[in-house]
Amino acid sequence: MSEEVALMARGLTKSYGRVRALRGVDLEVRRGEIFGYLGPNGAGKTTTIRCLLDLIRPDGGTVRVLGIDPQADPVTVRARIGYLPGELQVDPNMTVGGALRYFNSLRGNQADWSFVRQLAARLDLGLEPMVRNLSHGNKQKVGVVQALMHRPELLLLDEPTLGLDPLMQREVLRLITEAKAGGATVFFSSHIMSEVEAVAERVAIIRRGVVVEVAEPSSLIGRAMRRAAVRFRQPVDIGPLANVPGVTVLSQDDGTGVLLQVEGEMDGLIKALAAFPVSDFETERPSLEEIFLAYYEDDQKEG
Amino acid sequence: MVTVFRYTLRRFRGQILGWGIALALLGLLLVSMYDTIAAQREQLQNMLELYPPELTAFFGDFSSFAAPEGFMSVEFFSYMPLILGIFGVLMGSGLLVSDEESGTLDLIMAHPVSRTALFLGRLLAFVTATVAILAIAWLGLTVPMTWSSMDLGWGRVWLPLLSLLAEVLVFSAVSLLLSMLLPSRRMAAMTGGVVLVASFFITGLANINENLETAARLSPLTYYQTQDAFGGLNGTWLAGLLAAAVVLAALAWWCFQRRDIRVGGEGGWRLPLT
Repeated sequence: MSEEVALMARGLTKSYGRVRALRGVDLEVRRGEIFGYLGPNGAGKTTTIRCLLDLIRPDGGTVRVLGIDPQADPVTVRARIGYLPGELQVDPNMTVGGALRYFNSLRGNQADWSFVRQLAARLDLGLEPMVRNLSHGNKQKVGVVQALMHRPELLLLDEPTLGLDPLMQREVLRLITEAKAGGATVFFSSHIMSEVEAVAERVAIIRRGVVVEVAEPSSLIGRAMRRAAVRFRQPVDIGPLANVPGVTVLSQDDGTGVLLQVEGEMDGLIKALAAFPVSDFETERPSLEEIFLAYYEDDQKEG
Repeated sequence: MVTVFRYTLRRFRGQILGWGIALALLGLLLVSMYDTIAAQREQLQNMLELYPPELTAFFGDFSSFAAPEGFMSVEFFSYMPLILGIFGVLMGSGLLVSDEESGTLDLIMAHPVSRTALFLGRLLAFVTATVAILAIAWLGLTVPMTWSSMDLGWGRVWLPLLSLLAEVLVFSAVSLLLSMLLPSRRMAAMTGGVVLVASFFITGLANINENLETAARLSPLTYYQTQDAFGGLNGTWLAGLLAAAVVLAALAWWCFQRRDIRVGGEGGWRLPLT
């Protein structure tokens, strides 16, 4: 495995009884990148992450984390990782500070406590309250702090902004970006497209336990279908437009307006429109969410 | 492992104080009662000898009830494996699985702690907690002896307590192993409890029904020493019980090494042996 690869999975499979959670996941995350792992609940995101940490044992396939097989040397792998579970539970009988000190102690007191205080302050998290008295959002902040406090080389974050208010969501995304700036690799799962679009350099889409797409968010958006509304100064024959590859006419009014669906790049359509008396041209940029949903609509059709 | 040990032992604080003080108070009460009933001891002895053998079978030798060893054996040590056995079953079954079911084990295991270190740290904390409970009980039995006519000797009281410790460790190891095999802590504790109670009855009834003697040989409580222990422990029996506890704990460790850690909640019926 190349030195440049932080995380690699090949043909990863895992079943829970009759349920096949992973059906051959292939992934490669480069060092220093922020990698989004997208999929709805039950797609296999958490199972993948738990295999990477050796919390569960895959039925088949190969995994390397920072060049190490996590089953062969889980302690070394975990020492270099910061992990935020999707369903975070912390001993309710500890204070926030006590829990963080305990986690730090499990890491051989790797963390600088002033950095812990700084992280807690940025997330508006007090260290004195008992964990059992915390709201869901505040518990999530404890999870974020413990994942970041030892400045790990690799962050595995399972739904990092779950339960946080929009301000705190933004702060967590900022922390993720800062971790990357500090040299860390970030692998995070989410089903919130806007946050993935905001920070991820590449994304993988997992569907029914298989990674169906890995790309840069901009490339996914660029390859997606989009709509174009064109208005003409006078009625025209739109026949030549309908013949442009990748263009479909969705509707047409009295000959001065047309709604088109364009698959792929816009270049062909724009060149064809040069021959028309165009008075207005409007396109809708699809969101990552629409692209993501399109994958699942296909899935439903197949089903 | 030291961090896991310290943290687990801190969590056992309530158990140590609760069980330890309760047993110490019981010891204090019994030693004080020994002096109070001194005048009636002969009559009590005669009355106990009239009890049906089915009843006395569970409480050891009533013939020496008037002696301090016999009195403590009948009044304290005879049923203590059942009482502290419940503690062992509950703690053994929950040593790892209670955190797994509450979901806290997931994050702990994501830290640089090996499964072996976690297992041993918790197991050693449990053994330390059990020893601490018995040490407090020992104080409750021996300190009142300084002003009582009961003179068993500070050192001798430890002997049946050592046998009791070995019994508790066996039943907690059984429950720990069951918690690795069965879908839930609840089910492991329930099954461990059934093993404990069955062992108590088989050992007791074997005293009056020789057909049960073969089955009783497999019962850990057959090798529990109460009154006899004051005169010197049977080292083979004690070592046998401790060896059984070690083997059962090793099997539990072997299962823990190979199983998936659940995110939370109770599991299914699949055996974690693949």
